[in-house]
Amino acid sequence: MRAVILCSSPYSETGCALTARLAQLGYVPVGALTLPSWDRRTLLRKVGQWGLRDSLRYAVAKLSPGKSKIQKQIRNPHLESALRNGDGVFRSVREVGRSYGFPVVTCIDQNSPRAVAQLKRWSPDLAIFTGGNILRDEVLNVPRLGILNAHLAVLPEIRGMSSPEWSLLCGVPLGVTIHFMDSGVDTGPILLRREFAGADGCDSLADLRNKMIAEGIELIAEAVAGLDRGTISAVAQADREKDCQFFVMHEQLKAVATLRLNKGRLNAAGGRRDGSGRSNG
Amino acid sequence: MPYRTAAKNGKSASIAGAKSEAADFERTQTQMSSPESSSSRNFMTTRTGRALTEAASLVRAPERIIPLFSKLASDELRTALAHRHLYSYAAATIPTADALRSVVEWIFHAQRPDGGIAAYYSLLTGYSDSYPEVTGYIIPTLCDFGRLTGEPAARHAIYLATNWLLSLQMPSGAFPGGFHGSDSGPDNTAQPSVFNTGQILQGLVRAHVETHTETRKAEILKRAAAAGDWLAAIQQADGSWTGPAAYQGAAHTYYSMVSWALAQLAAESGDPRHAAAADRNIDWVVAHVQPSGWIDGINLRGYPAYLHFIAYVIQGTLECGILRQRDDAIQAAAKPAWVLLRKFETHKRLLGTYEPDFRGGQRFACLTGNAQMSCIWLRLFEVTGDLRYLNAALKMNEMLKQLLPVKGRRGAVGGVAGSYPIWGAYQPMRFISWGCKFLADALMLEQRLTREFETKFTTKLEASECAQ
Repeated sequence: MRAVILCSSPYSETGCALTARLAQLGYVPVGALTLPSWDRRTLLRKVGQWGLRDSLRYAVAKLSPGKSKIQKQIRNPHLESALRNGDGVFRSVREVGRSYGFPVVTCIDQNSPRAVAQLKRWSPDLAIFTGGNILRDEVLNVPRLGILNAHLAVLPEIRGMSSPEWSLLCGVPLGVTIHFMDSGVDTGPILLRREFAGADGCDSLADLRNKMIAEGIELIAEAVAGLDRGTISAVAQADREKDCQFFVMHEQLKAVATLRLNKGRLNAAGGRRDGSGRSNG
Repeated sequence: MPYRTAAKNGKSASIAGAKSEAADFERTQTQMSSPESSSSRNFMTTRTGRALTEAASLVRAPERIIPLFSKLASDELRTALAHRHLYSYAAATIPTADALRSVVEWIFHAQRPDGGIAAYYSLLTGYSDSYPEVTGYIIPTLCDFGRLTGEPAARHAIYLATNWLLSLQMPSGAFPGGFHGSDSGPDNTAQPSVFNTGQILQGLVRAHVETHTETRKAEILKRAAAAGDWLAAIQQADGSWTGPAAYQGAAHTYYSMVSWALAQLAAESGDPRHAAAADRNIDWVVAHVQPSGWIDGINLRGYPAYLHFIAYVIQGTLECGILRQRDDAIQAAAKPAWVLLRKFETHKRLLGTYEPDFRGGQRFACLTGNAQMSCIWLRLFEVTGDLRYLNAALKMNEMLKQLLPVKGRRGAVGGVAGSYPIWGAYQPMRFISWGCKFLADALMLEQRLTREFETKFTTKLEASECAQ
């Protein structure tokens, strides 16, 4: 299986963890195509999302010599096992590439003619998207099987951005869906869809998202293996035309979504307390 | 009260009042180079003269130069450094309640000694004269604010504004167009205006509801009914309003705001003629909805379709649809509202003007239109329960709160600028009273609906916990 990874930055932790995980399972990518890390728009977006302090902390963790504690070098602790590399961790896709021997190419835009030409040179069976631009048909049509994406919600109910948060707010079960990308927003054929049972231990939305990302990486690995063996096939979404697209959630609504997360956690803790009480009794 | 016959202090005598003046200001330069008829050349000369007069007024009031340059510099800096972040999802530093208070205080300060509310505060010329149209439809905003906060100043402002408006009513029941005293006919008589009558009607109906003295209550309703009767009497058979009392003599879909006022009146007066007139106009507006969601027929000759007017069409149709329980009108309003929501979410901004079918437009932000869209999305959330509308409105309000001046002169502080940046095409260099009105409406709706939603959500969670 000739796979290519598409990343939003060489330092994308998700991209790095996915690449490393696939390589560990024997699916060493034929290449990775990333956007530049010092792009002004990317930097501004990250500062907007995380704030200046977190962005700086991330930059220091990724760029400083790897002598600090592993926990300090990883933003998503649930990716630690995938990112482990001997005594340290992989901090960029380039490091994974050097370790497993595949090229990492940087492009300004994943839809640019240069990027498309590079993808064609790799002649991939499959590409896996972990972030970057909205992909146009010229890119979508290059891999023989298509481009895979891990969506952090159950499709087709919740499409678009902030999907775990919207699932909580709309009372839709949390889940991860692996699907092929098409020209719509999360409307492509579905390969795997699994409800997410790990929300009980999450103390924040960020923690929930991190856990779901880790789950998404495992599911993608499962999907790649399934496609390689020919044991799974994609099913078109029934409600492709239905407008289920959600957008980035405002902080005030996130606070309400957190209430449901906390309530679920408290209930689970209560359930465990009840259970232990009964067994003690 | 006598109507003045000439524009004062170089202020405009434009037919559509303050709202089209700024467009005149902006269009002057582009139209100067094109060959036009002599009448339009005169028109352009007037507009150029008006722009020069506005600028020249700085000589008379040099104390305005520093605030002007400081605002120009801050907008320039902001657009240069933080353009993309203006529409970011970061929470604003101003709490909603504080922003609301500062916006309403701007309105209090804009109330003139005659009781009317000024149309705008210009960084060049200061406060404008009282503006009947806006004074009318600011009354419901002041009523809502008074109810929310118990602020006695709101009640006083409503009383003064209502008295002033009643003094302007013409024997036919209509209200005059344009600025107070500016829009007179050739024989020095005030010209009735459909749109202004409708907008003022909104204020009178609400003043009637909020008034507790029986005689005054009855008097206001009688005057409101007279205005409604006049509107119904001059309505065309197809439901539109055209003729000399309509702006540029043409029918406009944004007169759906008038049918909203008529629907409000019908709910109070119980007069089926007012309800029928509202329904007829909404039928006419709904017939203009295009497959793209665009509603044709704004029909402002010589002006682009500012977001403000697009939002008027949507808001009037939606509110009238809600009051008249007409699903077709609500659906017709929801369609363009959803198109604009997707544009806002995707591009993090709305354009200041749009071409037909929302194909493109000018890149400045029409802040009033943005505040109106926030009101529309919040009402659609209330009607449909679709949280995406609430989400978009919360983000839009954050953006608008970030742009409120927190320091500066009276007239600027707490004011909503016509455009962002301040030199944009819609009402350049001005803080406008109807922008403040719509932002105050949006913030009050936000407060109410988020409170209700949070309570409902918590109750539902607790119920599900009990069920377990």
